[in-house]
Amino acid sequence: MENISETKDNYVVEMLNITKIFPGIIANDDVTIRLRKGEILALLGENGAGKSTLMSVLFGLYQPEKGVIKVRGKEVKINGPLDANALGIGMVHQHFKLVENFTVLQNIVLGLETTKNGFLKMDDARKKVLELSEKYNLRIDPDSKIEDITVGQQQRVEILKMLYRDNEIMIFDEPTAVLTPQEIDELMAIMKNLIKEGKSILFITHKLNEIKAVADRCAVLRRGKYIGTIDVADTSKEEMSEMMVGRKVELTVEKKPANPGKTILEVEGLTVEAGLKGHKKHVVDNVSFKVRAGEIVCIAGIDGNGQTELISAISGIGPMHSGHISINGEDMTHKSIRYKNTHGLSHIPEDRQKYGLVLDYDLAYNTVLQQYFEPQFSKGMFLNTDAIYSYSDELIKNYDIRSGEGSATLTRSMSGGNQQKVIVARENTRPHDILLAVQPTRGLDVGAIEYIHKELIKERDGGKAILLVSLELDEVRNLADRILVIYEGKIVAELDPDKVSNQDIGLYMSGSKHQDVIGEGEDAPSGVMAVKKGGED
Amino acid sequence: MAEKKSAKPKKSKVGLLSSIFAVVIGLLVGFIILLICNPAQAVPGFLTILTGSFTHGMRGVGQIFYYATPIILTGLSVGFAFKTGLFNIGAPGQFMVGSLGAVAIGIACEGLGPVHWLIALLGGMAMGAVWGAVPGILKAHFNVNEVISSIMMNYIGMYMTNWTVKSSTVLFNTLRNESKNVAVTANLPKAGLDVLFPGSSVNSGFIIAVVAVILIWVLLYKTKLGYELQACGFNRFASKYAGINEKRNIMMAMVIAGALSGLAGAIVMLAGSGSHITVKDVIASEGFTGIAVALLGLSHPFGVLFAGMFIAYLTAGGFYLQLFQFSTEIIDIIVAVIIYFSAFALFVKLLIDKLSKKKEISKEGGEK
Amino acid sequence: MQVIIFIVQQTMYFSIPLLIVALGAMFAERSGIINIAMEGIMIMGAFTGILFLNLTGNSMSGQLQLIIAIIISVVTGMVFSLFHAYASINMKADQTISGTALNMFAPAFAIFVARVIQGVQQVQFTNTFRTDVPVLKDIPVLGPMFFQGAYITTYLGIIILIVSTVVLYRTRFGLRLRSCGENPHAADAAGINVYKMQYAGTLISGALAGLGGLVFVVPTSVNFNADVAGYGFLAIAVLIFGQWHPIKIFGASLFFGVMKAISASYSGIPFLAGLGIPSYFYKMFPYIVTLVVLIFTSKNSQAPKAEGKPFDKGQR
Repeated sequence: MENISETKDNYVVEMLNITKIFPGIIANDDVTIRLRKGEILALLGENGAGKSTLMSVLFGLYQPEKGVIKVRGKEVKINGPLDANALGIGMVHQHFKLVENFTVLQNIVLGLETTKNGFLKMDDARKKVLELSEKYNLRIDPDSKIEDITVGQQQRVEILKMLYRDNEIMIFDEPTAVLTPQEIDELMAIMKNLIKEGKSILFITHKLNEIKAVADRCAVLRRGKYIGTIDVADTSKEEMSEMMVGRKVELTVEKKPANPGKTILEVEGLTVEAGLKGHKKHVVDNVSFKVRAGEIVCIAGIDGNGQTELISAISGIGPMHSGHISINGEDMTHKSIRYKNTHGLSHIPEDRQKYGLVLDYDLAYNTVLQQYFEPQFSKGMFLNTDAIYSYSDELIKNYDIRSGEGSATLTRSMSGGNQQKVIVARENTRPHDILLAVQPTRGLDVGAIEYIHKELIKERDGGKAILLVSLELDEVRNLADRILVIYEGKIVAELDPDKVSNQDIGLYMSGSKHQDVIGEGEDAPSGVMAVKKGGED
Repeated sequence: MAEKKSAKPKKSKVGLLSSIFAVVIGLLVGFIILLICNPAQAVPGFLTILTGSFTHGMRGVGQIFYYATPIILTGLSVGFAFKTGLFNIGAPGQFMVGSLGAVAIGIACEGLGPVHWLIALLGGMAMGAVWGAVPGILKAHFNVNEVISSIMMNYIGMYMTNWTVKSSTVLFNTLRNESKNVAVTANLPKAGLDVLFPGSSVNSGFIIAVVAVILIWVLLYKTKLGYELQACGFNRFASKYAGINEKRNIMMAMVIAGALSGLAGAIVMLAGSGSHITVKDVIASEGFTGIAVALLGLSHPFGVLFAGMFIAYLTAGGFYLQLFQFSTEIIDIIVAVIIYFSAFALFVKLLIDKLSKKKEISKEGGEK
Repeated sequence: MQVIIFIVQQTMYFSIPLLIVALGAMFAERSGIINIAMEGIMIMGAFTGILFLNLTGNSMSGQLQLIIAIIISVVTGMVFSLFHAYASINMKADQTISGTALNMFAPAFAIFVARVIQGVQQVQFTNTFRTDVPVLKDIPVLGPMFFQGAYITTYLGIIILIVSTVVLYRTRFGLRLRSCGENPHAADAAGINVYKMQYAGTLISGALAGLGGLVFVVPTSVNFNADVAGYGFLAIAVLIFGQWHPIKIFGASLFFGVMKAISASYSGIPFLAGLGIPSYFYKMFPYIVTLVVLIFTSKNSQAPKAEGKPFDKGQR
């Protein structure tokens, strides 16, 4: 009986009351989404809202604790990609699953090859692929190697893979993150084409323009919770933005107005090119700005818009293709990482376990990662272990770092929050003028977040310059004295946190709005300064 | 203060358990093989492996030290490289060119007087260092996998050593197809060990090996260079972030590792107990045994010292196996099995975690 | 003319085992598993095969005896390589360490068992395997070179080369195998059982290494002394020199074979003896060339991208 009523509504996929719990976090909390046949349903939410988890549940990579999945009205159990495929569900992963030195055709048929007398028979497959690419306007040379084609073309291969497998339900996981604007337009056209041919699409994104451009309906998630589903045609971008980020700022930290002093960090015309073959994308595009003593400048933006590359270029752990960096007026463009480390730069890295700590060293050794060679911590060629351990004991006391065996604790065995405290303690304590803090509270609990926020403000009030990169709007609002919004590698806006609404920031971050003055990087830095001053008035 | 500096108990406990696990399985496999070959003699044969080295009292103990000396040093070489994130499978080649350096100086540079042996040792170390430097440079500057280049260097070293010995009338003993005896002045001093262990071949080489162990321990755990080398080995991204020069460290690590293996070769040749460079196209086994020693000793200098002594002890016991018509290769089989299972460290760790978790759960259950 | 024929024949004796073993290593690495145990597997394969020849003596015709020995060597190699597969694939152990262990195990085991069975470690055998190929042997020049007094193993090597190339590039198995060595996550997403393919790759490497051990010992010796003279390692050099491609591997093994043949027999060749280059130079040369090749190819190596890294389904 139920089946009949469901088919009337013509839902091809229903995920009902899905709850997925990971240790310490509820990734999906009673989420229900329904995909109609022949529509594009956008799944909107900030980083960590639970979109990817939900799609992984649908693709069989995770099993939900609660909830039911129905495909074409029938309740199903999906145990893995093979099951999903058998149900006609395909997925374009954010990181493509392609074999680099295979041809397009080989990648498409892999796992579903046709053979004759034991030998591969590619002719039929080639014919089918050519037909499909004709029909859906996915032009591509089946004999090119993946490593020789652009990222946009690689994405078409992923789409063709789904079509070759006759998938009717297609999941696109943030498909535009790696594309240039032109490629994004092409992708939008392709998606519309697919719908015309009767496919149904789930489109994961946080870019409102794209939703407006192609989606029929939009389901919004926030912090694992289902907020609602709306018709895109009837809803403004502002409303969607509000649904995505919410109104409420939960955490507030007491903060005096900033009292900026002289310029500490100056970045001028910084450009980083992506190292992708046959595809030159400026992941950081002619970025210029200044950070002065006693202020927190926050780079706000959605993940993958060039923040990582920008900070890597400034700190020196990543490449930089043009532009200048100076600290305290000294040109640092071509200086070594160690020189920067010892001449005013501190850095709380984005990935604390990959860059920030040597997990197999104990806590004490990690507190002197950039200073072990200084006279304070060494005697000739030897380490001064006593000095290192007493320094570490001091940091443990000052920053309330909890660890099983004090300074001798292996950092690997410490909790994420305490690991982060070690880094914050180290970077704040060692001599510096500018602190780069990249997502300093990522993955931490509320208590640790509050603590780190207070420390950053203490730093500022102590006259340090701080460049903060954050993906969390709450954090941006809490800490920033000035907000620079980064989108597609460009600084698209400079905002005063006291005068701008969350919705507006959301619009800038999703590329729906931009300030013209900032976009013209050629005039920087004077142009930037002018805007900034204007903002302060 | 002193308490706090004690190393990480949890980690080394797991490591120790996985080493013991590997040793037990290795001995078990050895016993099973004896059992299959000759059930009647298997038990006394196996006991001989364990006790044989003590049959002749202090002389036997002296022999253990003597056998242990080169493999402690090659083990130290491999283990030190492991600590810095490199796999020095080139120890055999470094060992052979080290032998060559020591023998060449030991024969040709008579007249250096009382420091002759020391110069010969240093010559061996220098040759080993050069042989280690090549894969180091290739890795640092051309990103060549050090395992592959070290294997090539092993063969190049072996052929070059044989070529040099054979083509030199000064070095070559045509009658025996091996290198001549080194000058008496080039023999390592006995340092009183011959009195302590009468009748054994042990000499100051063992003391040198122990000193090397201590020096490497100091280098790794007490110096700035050691801090950098280990940081690169543990996490090269964090090392880069910290401003450490990774390329220089890779080369430095390989040079030191090469020098240690070269020293091992030199000590064997200068022991004055009848070791020569035999002109055969065979890779020196001391180098490969060093890999086993390093793995068993968890790459820690003191661990390597004990592991080297343990394998030497098995080898010494193995000689007496011939009394039971078993050949001594059973020891190599046991050592190979030990290496194989020491590669399962991850598995042992998981096993321990599982067991300890079960315990916790049962405890909790009990409390409830 | 006699000299050239001699050199060509000698080259074949050295090249063919290198070719077979390097192709074996290629299958393992193409599936993502580095197998540096080739030396040890060769020793095991040669040991059981030669032991069979030794025990059966002159009880059957040479060619039949050789064929059975080949089968025994192949099976031995596969069984022995299972240990490497288990450690590398199931236990996610360090593949270099596991390979090193097998390399140590094999000669010790071969000597130990030989001593138990017959008292001495050398295993003797009588070489009754040379044969003339009818009709073809009468072709001028080529006949004496390739078809007179030849070993069927030489032709077997060429057949393996052809089959390997076809399997790798023209079959479903080959496509899937290669995808596992390049990007196992892509293969996994396409519904391919990566573990199964890696087992297949490692077992093929074992089979070919076992065979290669026998093929190396039979024409070049009259007894087996638990040693294949570093050919397992040399085969890995051939594999790299040939950039993981069967036809290039064939070329590399010919080059290495020529060098070996010259170093073994140059004193009997007036032209080469006259050059006055010692045999050790020819012995060292292939290794030095491989090092140089490594320097120039490491930046743009054709090595399978995922080789040596244990595949973990969970890490996406």
